[in-house]
Amino acid sequence: MASLSAQVKGGIEDKAVPPDGLLIKTLNLWKTYLMGSVEIHAVCGVDLEIQRNEYVAIMGPSGSGKSTLMNLVGCLDTPSSGDYWINRRLVSTMSDDELAYIRNKEIGFVFQTFNLLPRASALHNVELPLIYNGTPADARIQLAKESLRMVDLEDRMHHKPNELSGGQRQRVAIARALVNHPSILLADEPTGNLDSATGQEIMGLFDRLHERGNTIVLVTHEHDIAQYAHRVIHIRDGKIAKDERTR
Amino acid sequence: MPIRESIWLALDTLRAHKLRSFLTLFGIIVAVTTLIVVVSVIEGMNRYIAERVANMGSNVFYVTRFGIITSAKDWIAAQKRKRILMDDYEALRAQLKLASAVGASSWSQSDLKAGDKQVYDVGIRGTTPNMINIGTEQVGDGRYISETDFSHRSYVCFIGADVAENLFAGSPLGKTITFRGQTFEVIGVARRIGTVFGQTQDNFVHIPLTTFLKIIGTNRSSMGIAVQALRPELMEQAQDEARLLMRARHHLPYSQKDDFGIVSSASIYALWENLTGTIAMVAVGVTAVFLVVGGIVVMNIMLASVTERTHEIGIRKSLGARRRDILMQFLVEAVALSTAGGVIGVLTAFVGTRIMAATTSIPSVLPLPAVFTAVMVSGGVGLFFGIYPASKAARLDPISALRAD
Ligand SMILES: Nc1ncnc2c1ncn2[C@@H]1O[C@H](COP(=O)(O)OP(=O)(O)O)[C@@H](O)[C@H]1O
Ligand SMILES: [Mg+2]
Repeated sequence: MASLSAQVKGGIEDKAVPPDGLLIKTLNLWKTYLMGSVEIHAVCGVDLEIQRNEYVAIMGPSGSGKSTLMNLVGCLDTPSSGDYWINRRLVSTMSDDELAYIRNKEIGFVFQTFNLLPRASALHNVELPLIYNGTPADARIQLAKESLRMVDLEDRMHHKPNELSGGQRQRVAIARALVNHPSILLADEPTGNLDSATGQEIMGLFDRLHERGNTIVLVTHEHDIAQYAHRVIHIRDGKIAKDERTR
Repeated sequence: MPIRESIWLALDTLRAHKLRSFLTLFGIIVAVTTLIVVVSVIEGMNRYIAERVANMGSNVFYVTRFGIITSAKDWIAAQKRKRILMDDYEALRAQLKLASAVGASSWSQSDLKAGDKQVYDVGIRGTTPNMINIGTEQVGDGRYISETDFSHRSYVCFIGADVAENLFAGSPLGKTITFRGQTFEVIGVARRIGTVFGQTQDNFVHIPLTTFLKIIGTNRSSMGIAVQALRPELMEQAQDEARLLMRARHHLPYSQKDDFGIVSSASIYALWENLTGTIAMVAVGVTAVFLVVGGIVVMNIMLASVTERTHEIGIRKSLGARRRDILMQFLVEAVALSTAGGVIGVLTAFVGTRIMAATTSIPSVLPLPAVFTAVMVSGGVGLFFGIYPASKAARLDPISALRAD
């Protein structure tokens, strides 16, 4: 009897709105792909909690489900089942427009392949998130410039992506991710397309951003990169295998 | 996303694909060009007809043997009609109460000679003296045919400006012209009228109707009786009065149709409007077909554009673009694209009608409402045919769009 009531109580507690300061909370999160008649479980019942101002690395071999998890956390993808709160708001039941709002305001996503608009200048790329929340043009340009200054690229703001180096492109992408002052910065293998020196440079930038109070989650399969973080979550076959504090 | 950003983006995309955009717009350009050219020409013709062709003099209608005949069948049937003769003219002149003037004229054609100069196929009209007040001709020099000329069947003539110019070096007054074996003294020259559809209106000779009947023969020619109504608002009533009189003279029973015609500026204009109505309907049909074709091409190119830019849509969605933002982006692009087609079509039509005006005698006037409508309609076509591609783009799922290359 006692154990049953404890279970029920536990369930209610788990489903309750997370406390303030708990930025990310997932509960039994699943993502299952259907390939023909075969089910592929890319994420299998992940429970994840990330506090404000944490610096987390998600590690694991290729195909272990890191990107899938990251896309779920970044609201780019929707879970097959399970619950997910960001900043105390239940995301897994949100409508399309609400999700767009979360992507715009709460999340800054940095991709391995930068994902900049090729025909737009660095400045315009950084402006994009502001365009989608209706920031007036002059304020937008001001904020975008500030964001580019933070990544030391103010002097390149009129360059198109193909006129920039890989490291510079990734810095533009980081400036874009930060321009709306999101609650969390998510980066999926941000150094994957860069040489190691440039990769270290980008990691140095992440360090500075963390020191300024940003919450960062980055995905990597390299130990060199993961060691910058303060907490490392190991993923294997869609499950959390190890979760350790490293600093 | 604010509309200004969408328009900026749309124009930027169009700039990036100039040739493709132009080819895409071909259907819309053709549609708009057709519409504007046809409307311009009809509009130009309308004014022309109103000012020149249908201007028979104020409040004037003609009673003629044939009236306006628009089919071969009617023409054959009309061959059996009685001629309109001097008696009819005299009867109308004596009995019409609503007419301020009743004149008559009969028409033929002849070559003219004066000294060693000759001109061919000039219109010869036998007229009553009052025709100078009823018709559109005006005296430029000398005088018109007088009552005395009329009653004496004098061999005098009043000539058009072209005839005067072609036959005589100096003033033609007092000189003579020979045609149909008779010699006529020139008593007056008409003020120049100008051309209608490139045809000069100044190549004529007027002689007294009585003289005309004497040389052509009283019974062989049919004449037109020109009636000037007392006041403009009495035109219809005066026509009815003339109709009743003519029917009585021809002993037509109640059930039978008129065996003569009544022609006025209004009836010519009505005929013309009927004709232009048909032309306009054909033009609207052609335009509609091209617009639909153009719209389908726009839809096709927008679908291709959505596929091509799936990755871009993914990026935008990952940054917080809502469905309606993406929908707006592609709708504005489709509308901008097809409106550009409309504008190019209007410009093409404008240049086309200018060239036409410079090289032919076809008149044209570019009507602003038609331009406005054409541009709006082409924009509307873009809107309509852009809905499907745009909503397809808007519905894309962010992560699968991002995965696309
Ligand atoms: N869209 C998809 N359709 C089917 N299977 C997928 C899809 N995306 C990922 N997977 C599968 O899910 C598993 C996890 O992939 P992913 O999250 O990309 O791994 P990682 O980023 O760790 O390399 C892999 O087995 C992969 O094949
Ligand atoms: Mg991956």
